Amino acid sequence: MAYVATKGGEEAIQQAERLFHTLKGRVTPQLVREIEMTMPYLVDRVMGEGALYAPELAALALAQAGGDLYEAVLLLRAYRSTQPRIAYARPLNADQLLTVRRISAAFKDIPGGQVLGPTLDYSHRLLRLDWLDGEAGQQPEPVNADDAPAAPNYPLVADWQRQQGLIDGELPPVESIDPADIPDVTRDPIAMPAPRAHRLQSLARADTGGVLALGYASMRGYGFIHPTVNELRLAEADVAVTHPVTGEPFSIGRVRVSQAEIVTSGKSGYKIGFAATMGWNEVKLIAAATLDVEMSQSEPHPAHTEDFVLYHTEPIESSGFCIHFKLPHYVTFASSMDNVRKVIAAMYPDSREARNVAADARTERKVAEQQPGSSPTNGTAASDSPAETSQPEEQPS
Amino acid sequence: MSLTKLVTAQADYSYGFLDAYAKRELRRRILKGIAIPGYQVPYASRELPIARGWGTGGLQVTLSLVGPESVVKVIDQGADDSVNAANLRRFVTRMSGAQTTADTRQATLIQSRHRIPEEVMQEGQVLILQVPDPEPLRAVQSDLAKAREMHADSDYGQMWLVLYEQLVRFKRYMQGASYPVLVHDRYVMSPSPIPRWDTPMLHQAAHLTILSAGREKRLYVVPPYTNVYPLEFTDVPFQVEDQREWVCLRTGAQHKFMNEIPQADGGSTYEVSDTGYADKLVAQQRGEQPWIGRTYYDDEGNFYHAGYLKPPVIPET
Repeated sequence: MAYVATKGGEEAIQQAERLFHTLKGRVTPQLVREIEMTMPYLVDRVMGEGALYAPELAALALAQAGGDLYEAVLLLRAYRSTQPRIAYARPLNADQLLTVRRISAAFKDIPGGQVLGPTLDYSHRLLRLDWLDGEAGQQPEPVNADDAPAAPNYPLVADWQRQQGLIDGELPPVESIDPADIPDVTRDPIAMPAPRAHRLQSLARADTGGVLALGYASMRGYGFIHPTVNELRLAEADVAVTHPVTGEPFSIGRVRVSQAEIVTSGKSGYKIGFAATMGWNEVKLIAAATLDVEMSQSEPHPAHTEDFVLYHTEPIESSGFCIHFKLPHYVTFASSMDNVRKVIAAMYPDSREARNVAADARTERKVAEQQPGSSPTNGTAASDSPAETSQPEEQPS
Repeated sequence: MSLTKLVTAQADYSYGFLDAYAKRELRRRILKGIAIPGYQVPYASRELPIARGWGTGGLQVTLSLVGPESVVKVIDQGADDSVNAANLRRFVTRMSGAQTTADTRQATLIQSRHRIPEEVMQEGQVLILQVPDPEPLRAVQSDLAKAREMHADSDYGQMWLVLYEQLVRFKRYMQGASYPVLVHDRYVMSPSPIPRWDTPMLHQAAHLTILSAGREKRLYVVPPYTNVYPLEFTDVPFQVEDQREWVCLRTGAQHKFMNEIPQADGGSTYEVSDTGYADKLVAQQRGEQPWIGRTYYDDEGNFYHAGYLKPPVIPET
């Protein structure tokens, strides 16, 4: 026995893929490097949602997918699922992050200071058409370095609030956590209510647009809270693992990370919402941290339950299911059409369907008379006159 | 014995794509599913290089069961040459080296979307159905945790209420495909969006059926020789699609599930949906002698378990 003979379908899908790649242009190592260097925020978004920190591979995924974000994320996720887990990183506290931007909207100034860092927040959104002129393109103006370098680490705003007794709830002790024991949403089936680890991991991988839509709905008033950005951080983090021989921690590299904390007032102090992700993605994290609080309400809005938020912001699942409606559904459609025709026939005696059913019934009677013993039951009568073309001579009674 | 025979050649991907841990997890979940017919077993569900919602649940089961000796058939809407079926088949063979077939009788593993083949499947064969929504209670309870409690309590009253309301409003059950069934007298199960024509084929079947939803991360099983009954009131029996008058344009066959093809003149033609079966009928008409198995519905439209399907009853107002 051999491979099923190649039929039209198989040839068609291969040619369709070739056409896609022909129209999108050629991918070169140089292009991939340029995407990686010039579009870090796009690469970060793909790495975050793709749940794989690999800037070069994320850039490749973007190039290979012709810039289709969901396709790029799927490429990374599918690659990720083939990779073995060879070690667990050690837990990291936020005050150990090598922080480059850190702001709080809750206070004018905070211990360690507000650090504006790299941002477009206060840029004029004027399209720089002059960068199109000539060969030079953008000529970046140099950044004036401060006399004293900024501190690499900063304390947490929430720590000050905790000391003041303003925060509702306590943090679990960090030292006791073995990283291997942390529930892993990529390896465990998710159940609702989800363990906190699953919730935060799901938000870290969540679709930026999806999280924004649901978070924005909360902010506009469909939710029950008013978020205040307690602290927002962009940082680089040393990934520390335990050396398999010496047992000592050592850094295996640095990754870009970001995290956001929002607070909202409650009866027993401020509630904290938290979200973090690989890469720098501020809008997603503020929305996700808001949803973190919304999901913990005793009676959340239906669009802010944990079940609703986590399932519907999964980028691979939501985008995949949406585009799957392009697949043929003619069997299910035929099944429903069978019901609809019967109902129309029963409800509207003058309809074409009713006339067809009446014609069928007459044919059945005729066949039953010709074949004694057979009864016109479900799927037992036969006829050689196609139902759709037979026209009754009279209206059915 | 040489070293090259003892070691495995380096490969970019694991055999069958999934790593050993993922395969082990899936096999354990399948065994649990077999032990509890119709019960939805959660699983981690790995990302595959196929878009989610395009058969990744079925594909994970196929990849965890496939071996070099397997003979795989993949169909979509009954068709082997549908583009998505062709794509999944290409992936399974690329990752496993398994043989493929369009012949239901020859296949050891059949992955399908929305159809069960017309020929009666045998002991030892495995049918893997792709599932978009594993939760039959979704329409009455969208909260998954609450739906699980309802299953635990056999709390299916709302399902019966839905059927009753359909009878009141439409004088018939309005569920098209995915008609809910009761498995082993215990769990209400969605049979995946197979037409009602296929639903009875799950009852007391000789083969093993594994239903898997990759996106929703749950699988469930109908073991061989298990009772599967559609939800129906005793006085208003469940009905399969009424295609009694339809004749296949290609083969002249009747009483097999048909695709209706709209025609420019306003009418329709019909063709047998199961292309593997239809191809064998065509071969037979050409004078060849293909191995055609017994079908679930005979040429008079009688289902092979006599008495399982009952004549229609229109409820009184």
